[in-house]
Amino acid sequence: MAVKLDLDDIQGLIARGYRTLPHARFTIFAAHDAADGHALLSWLLPRITPAGRFAGNSALHLAYTADGLRRLGLAEGVIAGFSPQFIEGMTGPNRSRFLGDVGESDPHYWAWGGPQDPPVDGLILLYANSPEVLDAKQAELARQLDGLALRQITVLDTLKLGNNEPFGFHDGISQPIIQGLPRASGAASAGTPGGRVVPAGEFVLGYPNAYGQLTSRPLLPAAGDPRRLLPRDPAGSGAADLGRNGCYLVMRQLEQDVAGFWRYAGQATRRPDGSGDPGARTALAAKMVGRWPSGAPLVETPDRDDPRLGDHNDFGYYRTDPLGLACPVGAHIRRVNPRDSLDPQPGTEASLAVNDGHRLLRRGRSYGPGDGAPTAAGNDSHTERTARADVTPQHQTGLHFICLAASLIRQFEFVQHTWLNNPTFHGLYDDTDPLIGSRDPRGATFTVPARPVRRRYRDLPQFVRTRGGAYFFLPGVSALRYLDQLSADVSSVPFPSSVTR
Amino acid sequence: MPELRHWLAETAKKGLGEAPFGFARCLRLHFARFYLLEETADLDGRPIPASLVFMSEVDAPLRLHLAELADVAQGGIDQAFQHCTGYPGPGARRRERIAWLRRHRVRASAFYVNTVGRGVAQIRGEARLREELEDYLDRCDHTGRTATEVRRDLHAYVAGRADLAWAAKPPAPPSLLFRTHEALHMVAVPAVLLLALPVLLAVLPVWAVLLRIDERRDRPFTQRPTLQHLEEVASYEDFSTQNPFAVAGFVRPGRLRQLTFRAVLFLTDYGVRHIFTHDSLAGVKTIHFARWVPLDGWRRMTFASNYDGAVEAYNDDFINIIWWGLNATFSNGIDYPPTRWLFFGGAKLEEQFKNTIRCHQVAVPAWYAAYPELSADNIENNAQIRAGLRGDMSPAQAEQWLSLL
Repeated sequence: MAVKLDLDDIQGLIARGYRTLPHARFTIFAAHDAADGHALLSWLLPRITPAGRFAGNSALHLAYTADGLRRLGLAEGVIAGFSPQFIEGMTGPNRSRFLGDVGESDPHYWAWGGPQDPPVDGLILLYANSPEVLDAKQAELARQLDGLALRQITVLDTLKLGNNEPFGFHDGISQPIIQGLPRASGAASAGTPGGRVVPAGEFVLGYPNAYGQLTSRPLLPAAGDPRRLLPRDPAGSGAADLGRNGCYLVMRQLEQDVAGFWRYAGQATRRPDGSGDPGARTALAAKMVGRWPSGAPLVETPDRDDPRLGDHNDFGYYRTDPLGLACPVGAHIRRVNPRDSLDPQPGTEASLAVNDGHRLLRRGRSYGPGDGAPTAAGNDSHTERTARADVTPQHQTGLHFICLAASLIRQFEFVQHTWLNNPTFHGLYDDTDPLIGSRDPRGATFTVPARPVRRRYRDLPQFVRTRGGAYFFLPGVSALRYLDQLSADVSSVPFPSSVTR
Repeated sequence: MPELRHWLAETAKKGLGEAPFGFARCLRLHFARFYLLEETADLDGRPIPASLVFMSEVDAPLRLHLAELADVAQGGIDQAFQHCTGYPGPGARRRERIAWLRRHRVRASAFYVNTVGRGVAQIRGEARLREELEDYLDRCDHTGRTATEVRRDLHAYVAGRADLAWAAKPPAPPSLLFRTHEALHMVAVPAVLLLALPVLLAVLPVWAVLLRIDERRDRPFTQRPTLQHLEEVASYEDFSTQNPFAVAGFVRPGRLRQLTFRAVLFLTDYGVRHIFTHDSLAGVKTIHFARWVPLDGWRRMTFASNYDGAVEAYNDDFINIIWWGLNATFSNGIDYPPTRWLFFGGAKLEEQFKNTIRCHQVAVPAWYAAYPELSADNIENNAQIRAGLRGDMSPAQAEQWLSLL
């Protein structure tokens, strides 16, 4: 099905991860009143980078929480058109239980976004090609925020974008190919697990999704948009479509215990005489991830890393490795994207089609000590350094996880709950994701299938904790213009906090 | 009603396995639940009083189950049902209590059991067996041993454990009486249908056309569940591997739909009794039990199940796997997304379907599960592990069997 995306209206973050702009900083803000919120939006609007052709040295994006949209004067009746999870927010007790944000990841311990923290209005994402440009742009933004007496709840710095995430593994290899974007036309045929083109409506509202339908989004009567700033509902209802060309943005600060991870892998693979076995340590870590540090998938090279396969993504599991002898069924990448291993007919197009309904477009950036991108885990100096028990990280490190999706529940929350944190995923008993899963109250086992007998690793520590997060909406540029002109209609009465929940 | 719901929820937080219900002492009880249906009026405006629904899934005869409820769970049962019209008071005799429960029993039109004949004792025993075998495997070094040798080791281990001796024998099948009854039913229904075939062939085309005409009046379901309703329902979900699910709604008025509904449920009953009797409901492997229960003289229907995972995943299975079954059944209820020829459309309209499910979902404030952390997949796997302890196996079969552990 041919789909023409309105690239001038869609924010550029949906179309690209800004590999050419490796420096990024994320500002989480709250406005004191509607006037300040509008002044900020008016200032930011011309600076937003759309998804069309791009050649700049910086990019800026803007997303709002439900609270932020209310503060701009968007009526409750319109907000009710957003998904319930977006309106409820990430930290309600039902959501926390569902997302595994319990125990050490409980929102009460978060650095931002938790129930005890100031309510978040929005998120500004700034990308640049050099630290100098980033600093200059950020300084300009900070001046603007100060001038408007807006509160910068937190400014999240990131590491220069490299290939590896902080545990030391090549990351970001498997991304859905979105129908209607240039990459889709060059993609492999839709039949292969790695080269599938996913319908645009899975990531951009107002276009057909994996079911060939339009995901619900806020619509308002045409009379509510007299200046015709908004696109019209493509279903033909005549309503003004506030959601079209936008999507949900999930942001979570995931702190990674890099030293703890390598320490565990080292201890669990000691030789009988107690000495360390670096090769076995890396192999166990790779079993947890499902790829070797270079990114080479275990299903293609089960016994040793092969950097030549570092970008390989065109593989399935069902035919080559149904029992998980190469890549364990519980390995991280096999959980977050099970490809062709899903019921009812694993190994078929039907299985891949089920998988299509649960894809995430990842846009996260790592953070941590500012020594550039983390070194590969296969590099002994890195693993030795991080595996030593006496190494205490001076700075916290982790991932500012960002993903984009048209449905919070069917995409992000489903993956988080049903695949990642589910102890009985795919016939397992007590195994959550070995790399990033919650261990509370169950899930501390990692099973590595083998002949003749599997190996079980019990009492796995938790290596990743949630330290902050919120659900945002990344509107289309027209929708931002519409929100901007609401300023004419709203007074600057402070936003009543009682409406936040 | 609010006080009863509150009391049920608070009691359930402490666990229905403990007093005053003491369900953990009911050794053949798989699941139990209470939920409330609010006072309402039917589609003709006739009032329907509020009701309290108690459901249990048990592998014992009804007589024994009722006796157990009266003996073990009496305190809780009395407190819950005291709100119901005519429930015998605290001083009532055991016999009166049982008689009241029996009188208020509502029969399911169809009742799905994941694996017919597998009782609580077997499920728990096989789960323990697997844990013992896993622990044994963890303790021993298998370097250089073949799958056949490891299997022999496990055999010897089980044989040496008096407390696991039962595992060497196959599980007892359901009673001969039950099997005979089911076998007769399996044959009798097609036989009767065959006899009626000439009539059916004449009637079916007329029925299909009438149904299609009726369907063309369908309107999309545009309602969305309120946040308050979603929060209430969700507050009782996702505490363990399994979840309770319950929906209730009105059956569409008119003889055509009443007849269609009854016919579909008759066939559903046949399917779950004779076709989907082991491990899967037409491809969905996450359901432990499910039942379709007509209420108020077929004016209303409630569907309830015990399933693994989250409601979102459950709904996705409905949409991707058994959409046809959902459509054939629930399209005879009001508020269902438009169908075509009974089987098509409907659940395939993802958001409409999910919204109607959520809107008609009833909160289950009190729920008991005898083995809450075992998925249906786990239970089946455990049964296969036990089965593999018997008989001879080729090296390849032994290898395959060991992969279950």
